Amino acid sequence: MATEISRRTFIKGAAAAGVVLAAGTYFAWDGKNIPEKVKTGDVTYDVLVIGSGGAGMRAALAAAERKELKVAVMTKLVPTRSASTMAQGGMNGVTGVSDPTDTVESHVFDTIKGGDYLCDQDAVEYFAERAGENIYEMDYMGYPYNRQKDGAFHQRKMGGHSHPRASYFEDRAGHAMVHTLFEQCLENNIDFISECQMLEISMDGDKLNGVIAMDMRTGNLIGVPAKSIIIATGGYGRVYWVRTSNPYSSTGDGIVAGMNVGIPFKDPEMVQFHPTGLSANGVLLSESSRAEGALLINKDGERFMSKYAPERMELATRDIVARAIATEIEQGRGVGEGIHAGVYMDFTKIPAERIHERLGQVYDLSRRFAGVDITKEPVPIAPTCHYSMGGLEMADFHTGESRVKGVYVAGECSCVSVHGANRLGANSLSEVLVFGHTAGDGAAEFAKANSYVGSQDSLAKACDKWKTTFDKVTTRGREGNKSVPEIRDAMINTMWYKAGVFRDEAQLTQASAELDALDKEYEHCYVGDNSHVYNTAFEQYVELGNLLQISHAIVQGALARKESRGGHSRRDFPKRDDANFLKHTLIFKDKETGKYRAEYKDVVITKYQPKERKY
Amino acid sequence: MDVKLRIHRFVEGRKWEQDYTVTLKTGMTVLEALIEIKEKQDPTLSFTCSCRSSICGACAVRVNGNAELACEMLVENLVKRYDTNELIIEPLGNFKVIRDLVVDWDPKYARIKKIKPVVQPKPEFSKETGCKQSPEDFNKYKKYAGCILCGSCVSECNKNSLNQSDFLDPFVFVKAEKLVADSRDKSPEEHLKAVVDAGLWRCFNCQECTAKCPKGLDPAGAIEKLKEATFAKKLDDNVGARHAKAIYDDISESGTLDESKLNIKSEGFLMAGLRAPMALRLMRVGKMNPLDKHKVNPEIETIRKIVKNAEAAAKEAE
Repeated sequence: MATEISRRTFIKGAAAAGVVLAAGTYFAWDGKNIPEKVKTGDVTYDVLVIGSGGAGMRAALAAAERKELKVAVMTKLVPTRSASTMAQGGMNGVTGVSDPTDTVESHVFDTIKGGDYLCDQDAVEYFAERAGENIYEMDYMGYPYNRQKDGAFHQRKMGGHSHPRASYFEDRAGHAMVHTLFEQCLENNIDFISECQMLEISMDGDKLNGVIAMDMRTGNLIGVPAKSIIIATGGYGRVYWVRTSNPYSSTGDGIVAGMNVGIPFKDPEMVQFHPTGLSANGVLLSESSRAEGALLINKDGERFMSKYAPERMELATRDIVARAIATEIEQGRGVGEGIHAGVYMDFTKIPAERIHERLGQVYDLSRRFAGVDITKEPVPIAPTCHYSMGGLEMADFHTGESRVKGVYVAGECSCVSVHGANRLGANSLSEVLVFGHTAGDGAAEFAKANSYVGSQDSLAKACDKWKTTFDKVTTRGREGNKSVPEIRDAMINTMWYKAGVFRDEAQLTQASAELDALDKEYEHCYVGDNSHVYNTAFEQYVELGNLLQISHAIVQGALARKESRGGHSRRDFPKRDDANFLKHTLIFKDKETGKYRAEYKDVVITKYQPKERKY
Repeated sequence: MDVKLRIHRFVEGRKWEQDYTVTLKTGMTVLEALIEIKEKQDPTLSFTCSCRSSICGACAVRVNGNAELACEMLVENLVKRYDTNELIIEPLGNFKVIRDLVVDWDPKYARIKKIKPVVQPKPEFSKETGCKQSPEDFNKYKKYAGCILCGSCVSECNKNSLNQSDFLDPFVFVKAEKLVADSRDKSPEEHLKAVVDAGLWRCFNCQECTAKCPKGLDPAGAIEKLKEATFAKKLDDNVGARHAKAIYDDISESGTLDESKLNIKSEGFLMAGLRAPMALRLMRVGKMNPLDKHKVNPEIETIRKIVKNAEAAAKEAE
């Protein structure tokens, strides 16, 4: 067996003591992870945040400004592994530092138009008014902004925006945000309850008990009592599994937990598809590819965008290009098989130097994951699920509260609704800052004004229930049962082909029936690991259960919305229908029957009357 | 082609190695191979991953003894690099192992806290109006802001293998340098002091952290920069700094190291006295003779020129 001979090997050879001690570092974990008081149930948090992405940590920091409050962040991985970390472009906010002519009003209008008029305009105004201050505040917290000559952070222009207003750190805006917030949380001594998979929100009637979670490192079920909780668990792109740019952890856990205690899932059908993810695994190839002149080619070598957008060609908006690619694949002019089918993106007309200079990351990713040198040959790409505009309904955007008392929501798992039917670039990071901040303040004020009303007994009972579930599902044999990944793969096929880029009534109805059948298989699925310490097989079982419920909600929402708007595209209803659907879908899950039902809520219109969207 | 993965397993106190075979596909990363094993062969294999685009750091493991991000490392390339179709996958070194390839991060966070990990902005800045910083000042620390906390550097840190209790993890030094070099901060001394107390001068200088950093951040370089800063900020009253200063003085004065004085200069007369037995042994075997007049290297002018050039180059690099 060949190993690389390194200086390490040399030094180890030289220092005998080093070798002995180095061997000693591979030792068992001693069982300490989450705060002892959490394990014993000896703490009632004033504010318990679920999720350690941008929204969660921003919320925790806001709440922790009240020194008398006990604040904790619970996360299923460890902090800094969230989807926010992957955001590249920047965070929008009007500051005028790079373009003094920019105005809040312009930010509001760009966002509403981009959202295809499904945004609540009062919420967008609240958002745009505060986005700028949050950017300054991040500067004060130490965010490593790229700078301009006068010393201010620099702002650049993103798609769909009429002014440059996105501040950033290179092409890693989200990464820098998450790390800046995490460092602040460490400095402010916020408790981290790491590696705990939230399983449910425990409530008796309208009384909040707290949260049930599995401590991954011991397999123990813990009930964490809290006066108020903030759900900030991110999106659910993994409904489409390999056809998403989202991380493995984006499984909609918080949304399902919220639905189970009566919070409606607002606009679940509004899923944004980015046109150019790698066919191989959904990893995003930046929009700058097409901006720099990459062409889209089908199996027959035809530059097919001429059929769909003869004037703008490859530079048409994301939704149009995504639909064009999906159509080509569907009509048999794609390359590759099944879920990995795509079309070619051809960079070979672009000089190699320019590719290396401006598309370094695109070059790298294609090379790495598709084995393609884009300076020499085209790379297969396909649309990839990118963002979930929908989420748990935020009932009051001034506080972040949901319609369940004591439960607050923020970030991609929530729906304010600022993004409407289609989110603009760099609005998501500023959304998590603004509404993370708001929800943190809201939950903190609630915790100050109210005492704990929950019951520790109920928490303990809920833990026992999950313990039984764990024992039951993890000891079940393989015989006659489908495995978790098998059911998941079936779910992806249903969702991608029947509730993906295009939808229609017949397909959605079929999807709903297929999901029902998968639910049944899920009930006796094979998990295959019954050990207690870090049982990721059980974690994936829980996540799949959540993804199935999210899928149901997407399908129900998409069935009911008989129009095409933003990310939602019905083949049988290709036009936007303001007369009937200028309203939000609210999907409720019935506590008794587990069935889903749709209600509607009017979109809040203040200044901007809906008109046709043209760019 | 089939590739054999020999994976180090650790489940609830039981430790063993287990072999799995996967068929190599174009673009198959180590992470994809692990996922395929978990889904198709053995659901009990545990590891963590999240973004699979090398920015979250969750999937770092050791492959054939070297830390890698599993999500970005192609199996095909490793097979070529090591000229074998057998790869050994282990958890990161210098971490406690929780299960299989999953390691414990909590103690590491506690160590980040030690350096006061946030910028403490100068009084002219405010929450409402933010800060000001020139692009040049931004450039001084931007590289270090790219750390993704994957732990690759710690895994291969020789000083950490020897003793973690008196030395921070390389990424904590990276964070410290980011703060110290950030012109927005009003008191870089505070971070710097914490870093000196937490073992700055105990780095072995083996460069393994720099060699293993998947983001090319050069943690060893950050440690060097921090050492330089201790002189600039007059925090050089400690053994490490005096030792470095003594070596520098010796080299520029005589061109050779006067080992008999090195300890006295670094640790002071009293502490160095404790090393008398070692000095005696050295004298006995003829390695050190305090009575000898320390010779000046005949090439001293050339040596001084080299030192001067190196200093100029270092300045240029800033």
